[in-house]
Amino acid sequence: MRPLVVYPLLGAAFAGAMALSLATGSTHIPPGDVLAALSGGGADTAARVVRELRLPRALLGAMVGGALSVSGVAFQALLRNPLADPYILGVSGGAAVGALIASLFLAGAFLPLPACAFLGAAMAATVVFLLARRGGGVTRERLVLMGVVVGAFLNALIMMMVTMAPPGKIPGAIYWLMGDLGQGTLPRVFLLAPYVLIGLVALMTMSRGLDLLLLGDEAAFHAGLPVERVKTVLYLTASLLAGSVVAVSGLIGFVGLIVPHGARVLVGSAHRRLLPAALLLGAAFLTFADVAARTLSPSGELPVGAVTALVGAPFFLALLRGRRGGP
Amino acid sequence: MTAPALAARGVSFRYGGRAVLSDVSFALQAGEVAIVLGPNGAGKSTLLRLLSGTLRPASGDVALFGRPPADYSRREMARNLSVVGQDPPVDFPMSVEEYVALGRFPHLGLFGGASPGDREMVARALASAGLTDLAERPLSALSAGERQRAAVARAIAQDARVMLFDEPTAFLDIRHRVLFHEIVERLAEEQGVGALVASHDLSLSAEYGDRIVLLAGGLVMADGKPEEVLTPENVFAAYGVEVACDRNPATGAVRITPVRRRRIGREPNRDPK
Repeated sequence: MRPLVVYPLLGAAFAGAMALSLATGSTHIPPGDVLAALSGGGADTAARVVRELRLPRALLGAMVGGALSVSGVAFQALLRNPLADPYILGVSGGAAVGALIASLFLAGAFLPLPACAFLGAAMAATVVFLLARRGGGVTRERLVLMGVVVGAFLNALIMMMVTMAPPGKIPGAIYWLMGDLGQGTLPRVFLLAPYVLIGLVALMTMSRGLDLLLLGDEAAFHAGLPVERVKTVLYLTASLLAGSVVAVSGLIGFVGLIVPHGARVLVGSAHRRLLPAALLLGAAFLTFADVAARTLSPSGELPVGAVTALVGAPFFLALLRGRRGGP
Repeated sequence: MTAPALAARGVSFRYGGRAVLSDVSFALQAGEVAIVLGPNGAGKSTLLRLLSGTLRPASGDVALFGRPPADYSRREMARNLSVVGQDPPVDFPMSVEEYVALGRFPHLGLFGGASPGDREMVARALASAGLTDLAERPLSALSAGERQRAAVARAIAQDARVMLFDEPTAFLDIRHRVLFHEIVERLAEEQGVGALVASHDLSLSAEYGDRIVLLAGGLVMADGKPEEVLTPENVFAAYGVEVACDRNPATGAVRITPVRRRRIGREPNRDPK
């Protein structure tokens, strides 16, 4: 499809998802009142619900979905592996450990939560990278394997920390681990925004480098790319995006895996077009998923991570089976 | 005298204690097509990697326009030297044109915007590789020969004055081999490109090479014009194969044909049964 058609379509899908998210909730608010609340009018309960609950949640969902998707694009190019994402690489697990340490044990933390999660993500990424390194080079198979092993270890750490947490904090921590956008408040949105913005700008400036990495390290090197340096920056940037998002929304799986594939179908693999498309599609996808999470269960709310996994796992299997010769 | 485009002086390289190249010296001039021949394991690929700065020699030195590769930034290096490997990725997820446009990378600014000049270079590269009609096709839909030409086109778009080719025709049929060599010959003649080609095809190398460098056991066994280097003695010493060398009546180039060893008692025809 032509980009001129695709981007407006994606923009419309995103706007539709936002509108739906703002109009959906446990109390019925007529669309007119929602619009009035957004434009600053009305001081009643309905207006406060829209401005203080629904809007931050919709914004957070969009930001988290977009960030996870472009992080997935980056990891897939970095490893030349279409099945890579922050989860498989243990990066999200590292972020969760960092965020848990900060929120459970460092009350009144000296670092903002996303920064702690980023440190955890970067540390996990570094450990995986060092373990996978052998003889000066990193093969993608080893990297994925090490990611899985480190991820399993981090999971054990997460379970231990959750059980050692103060009893009052345990349910919240577990819910957060399953992927939760209910924590969205405007201050949280503003806390996350700079990390996501920095990550996005960094990836966009590296988009040609991402294209070249698809050629393989040696060909990218001969085409003028300082491969090792670009890969390191890319790894850190993708970890920053995934890590800071985990800090506010927990572990939401499959977004970073599926959205990039969908975006590739729409605009192809050149990263200058793929990154913006994945950003919009991911934002729309997670916002929709969150609407589903809030409305599907009659007895309350599902974690949005459960919804993305319900949709994502079958999609992932179809993708696996469709690839001749396997991943 | 100006420095040669690319030169190796007394270059040695070891891999895991085994000497792969020993005291190799040679120089490539601008506008020259030099072909490196030698049996498998003779050190051809290693030599190309040393020359392209992928590997560093254990001793001796390499110079691109008089400066060692380590003196160049990555982008500056790529503007002066391009490398075409054996096979571009089969499943590369872009169109031929997008793939060839990747060659412009070292010429682009920080944000990677392509200028009209860049687009014109890509169009010219596609045309010289005979791929203009296939530009919109996905790279994965091309035949092996067309894919190899796309790799050459990407290197042409990179617009470097020295081009290295590592066994580019290994999996190609005769038509695509000839096409490849004609593209390289034109680049050397019309744009003064210095081209170094590692190959296994002796006769084609004799036809298209201005110079032949014959490697064997990590040493330069012979270096010179095709008719000086490709003698039955040299070929036997390098490859252990008896050949007959004569001239191609159409072009006058050396022609190398293996001499089949006849075994006594063996009939040329199969046993009729």
